[in-house]
Amino acid sequence: MDFALLLEIFPQVLLDGVILGFMYALIALGYTMVYGVLEFINFAHSEIFVVGAFVGVEILLGLKNAGALDQLPPFLVLLLILVAGMAVSGLLAVVIERVAYRPLRGAPRLIPLISAIGVSFFLQDFVRLIESVWRNAFNLVYPGMEGLNRRLELTATVDVPVKALVVITASLLMLWALHLLVNRTKLGTAIRAVAEDQATASLMGINVNAMISLTFLIGGAMGGAAGVLFGVQYGLINPYTGFIPGLKAFTAAVLGGIGNIPGAMMGGLVLGLLEAFAASYLSLLTGGAFGAEYKDIFAFSVLILILIFRPRGLLGEVVRERA
Amino acid sequence: MTLPLFQAKGVTKMFGGLVAVNQIDFLVEPSRIVSIIGPNGAGKTTLFNVFTGLYAPDSGSVTFKGRSLVGLRPDEITAAGVCRTFQNIRLFSNMTAIENVLVGMHTRVTLAAWDVLARGSRFRLAEESLWRRAGELLTVVGLRTKANEVARHLPYGDQRRLEIARALGAAPSLLLLDEPTAGMTRGEAGALMALLRRLIAEFDITVLLIEHNMRVVMEISDGVIVLDHGEKIAEGPPAEVRQHPRVIEAYLGRRSHA
Amino acid sequence: MSHAAGVLVLLAASGYAVSIFPHSILAFLLFQLSILALYLARMRPWLKTTVAVLALCVMMPAIGTINGYYLEVATQVGIFAALALGLNIVVGLAGLLDLGYVAFFAVGAYLWAIFGSPQANRVFGGGFPLAPGWFFVFLLVGLTVAAVTGVLLGLPVLRLRGDYLAIVTLGFGEVIRVLANNLDKPINLTNGPKGITPIERPPLPFSPALLPGVAPSLLYSLYFYFLVLLIVGIVVVVNRRLENSHIGRAWEAIREDETAAQAMGVPLVRSKLLAFACGASFAGVIGVLFAAKQVFINPESFTFLESIGVLAMVILGGMGSIPGAVLGATVVTVLNLQVLKGFSLWLNELRNAGTVVLGYDLANLPTQLEPAKYERMVFGVILVLMMIFRPAGILPARRRQRELAEPQQ
Repeated sequence: MDFALLLEIFPQVLLDGVILGFMYALIALGYTMVYGVLEFINFAHSEIFVVGAFVGVEILLGLKNAGALDQLPPFLVLLLILVAGMAVSGLLAVVIERVAYRPLRGAPRLIPLISAIGVSFFLQDFVRLIESVWRNAFNLVYPGMEGLNRRLELTATVDVPVKALVVITASLLMLWALHLLVNRTKLGTAIRAVAEDQATASLMGINVNAMISLTFLIGGAMGGAAGVLFGVQYGLINPYTGFIPGLKAFTAAVLGGIGNIPGAMMGGLVLGLLEAFAASYLSLLTGGAFGAEYKDIFAFSVLILILIFRPRGLLGEVVRERA
Repeated sequence: MTLPLFQAKGVTKMFGGLVAVNQIDFLVEPSRIVSIIGPNGAGKTTLFNVFTGLYAPDSGSVTFKGRSLVGLRPDEITAAGVCRTFQNIRLFSNMTAIENVLVGMHTRVTLAAWDVLARGSRFRLAEESLWRRAGELLTVVGLRTKANEVARHLPYGDQRRLEIARALGAAPSLLLLDEPTAGMTRGEAGALMALLRRLIAEFDITVLLIEHNMRVVMEISDGVIVLDHGEKIAEGPPAEVRQHPRVIEAYLGRRSHA
Repeated sequence: MSHAAGVLVLLAASGYAVSIFPHSILAFLLFQLSILALYLARMRPWLKTTVAVLALCVMMPAIGTINGYYLEVATQVGIFAALALGLNIVVGLAGLLDLGYVAFFAVGAYLWAIFGSPQANRVFGGGFPLAPGWFFVFLLVGLTVAAVTGVLLGLPVLRLRGDYLAIVTLGFGEVIRVLANNLDKPINLTNGPKGITPIERPPLPFSPALLPGVAPSLLYSLYFYFLVLLIVGIVVVVNRRLENSHIGRAWEAIREDETAAQAMGVPLVRSKLLAFACGASFAGVIGVLFAAKQVFINPESFTFLESIGVLAMVILGGMGSIPGAVLGATVVTVLNLQVLKGFSLWLNELRNAGTVVLGYDLANLPTQLEPAKYERMVFGVILVLMMIFRPAGILPARRRQRELAEPQQ
């Protein structure tokens, strides 16, 4: 085993892990907020994320074709696609709730879950359909933006791409804004009240349906932002891109204690780091026998073990069983 | 002197810091009807949940026919001869009335999976006698004509009686009934009391009853246990308990709130 | 009587239509519809059984000799019907949402693929593939190993609540797929994404010389069709027997109300494990057959998409309903294999012919628009619409109405 090598790549792996972690954290928020309010796994959240990524790429490609992409300041473009991705994904989440989940409220809990799986599958092919008709292609690549591809050299072996810093900064800002919204505003208090007890909240004059829609809006917007950042960071997207990150973000949510917002952020970071290290070191440590392909198994194993041994997660409270 | 059929000693159950049931002792002799009464939140249903294995007690012992029930799973307790009904009816709502009773008889089935697959005479005989018995139990509670109706389509009173038939399916020696007359009219409650008396006579059953309807309690019980805030505050024959100052206080106190 | 006559006319007409238009999808769909009509028709039981046997054992093979593709469709329908029936026990009866069901199918398929091909030589040295006759032994091996896998997975996870169970089984399905993809090193067990081939087929029970003039490939197609039919028949019988017993009632009770079921004496974990093992074992058996029929398998056949496809079949037909599971398998398979593909071909023809519709030249249609690839949309639409409008399915599980013996006053 080559310890020097292990040590040398450590900062790079750490950086990869942090980026991945923030990505998971942003997606995980959507799962965790919805679960907190409805005790329901919004299986279609991974597609809400993907739609955000597609909104981003469409705008960038549009700007590029118009020849405007290199004229505009990259940060302005980034802001534009972030806002657009968040808006579309957020609205999509609200519509999905209205159409496919609300009619099923009060049904046995597997019924809305199955509906959500259906929505997820439908959306995958729907995105494919639209892109196939519109572009005759559905594997799309984010056009590079000059300013974001520069790398800042920190040491001889570690350099940080500007876009990585952008992804991290944007994630942090968004998590902070969400924290303020949920904990410092009246709306946030109302959402938390609905999560605690719908019937009582409704008696207190809170419009429960509106708060549930708002929850989907916020969670969806976070997912959309994650989608845009995912595209900026990794480049290649297709309609089926969301499944694996979605599953892992759900793992992150469970890891942090589902329904728990700070837990989702922490869970995302922990999972991102674990995965980055597994991907880079598993092969080195096992002499190539187990490669990076096993990083997915690693994440799923974490999920299964957590669910079996500590279903309330690391920060979570005891989940009430709805009788 | 008869040996106690069922005995609780020092049973305590806490939820977080809240003591739901505290140091409850009592015993039930065979072929009796013992009622547990007390204001809402006194810990009556919690006690049932401890007895039937849904909750593990924090301390204390529960013995039935000399055997400890603590640590057994609910299905093992049912197999041992203690079966219950639920306060908020919990039937298998998409199954028919008679299927509900058949599920109640689950512990009485001795067939192996192989018998089911082979479907030989052993299976047919066993299944036939199960259905016959289930039909009889439906007759006992007066639901024979509704055997094939889906449980959730039954009227409320029928659902309560079906729960009793389902519990009887397990052929219990001790039947725990959680507010069986809740929501019933006076006439229905009277009929149910008659049914309970019949069960004791015909089925050699002992009944532990949670009940709010004082008329029912006073008329039917051999003994009454009064709970308040998780504590046992009185115990004895109905006439005695009615005079007990703490019982009057607990009930009057509750009334003044209402 | 009129029902019987109607069904017979329908069957005869569809058979005739297939013989006249061997490549018309509509003709074959008509045949499938007439079988559904046969199931729904009010006829004497013996007559119904006779007609069903004739339709499935004589007409269908005859249709297959006219157009081999239809035999392939029918065999696929059978394979998925067996899978749907297995999942029906787990999801429909016991109410446990298993999203990784296809993993058990994979276990069966890989078992025979590895030992029924030279693949096993890479692990165990020489001596493989096993003789084709071992296939029948492996049907049982597949059953057992899949059942054991089901129990091993079930033991830790069956205590979880329903939605968590769904996600854990999903994770398990993915783990099995990733393993199949990557266990080409350090030991080459599955040959990775390249898959395994050639896999032995079971020996024909008679000499091909007995049926001169029938192409060997068609012979094998017919053989697999009958094998699948036999397995589906057995699975249906086993399903029915389990359902109409204390075991099936216990499963349904668990689905309705776990706590109450346990309070009535149903051992939860044991009953759920049994459901898991039964469902898994069906998938294992049919997996062995699938591997032999395909001759080649790779991890692509065992994706999450397949699990959801089988789930869509169960939901479409009706959870807990045996005829529903078979109908669901038929409709979904036919949609995927015939309707979507047919639509694709038709669109291609129009495109190549440069047909103009409402002023739009179809030659300009995007080439990436391949309707055949939209299985997910089909599954998705089925799941959402059924949950919202008809959660009990097309052929809902019928409550058994039973006359009670010796009615009393």
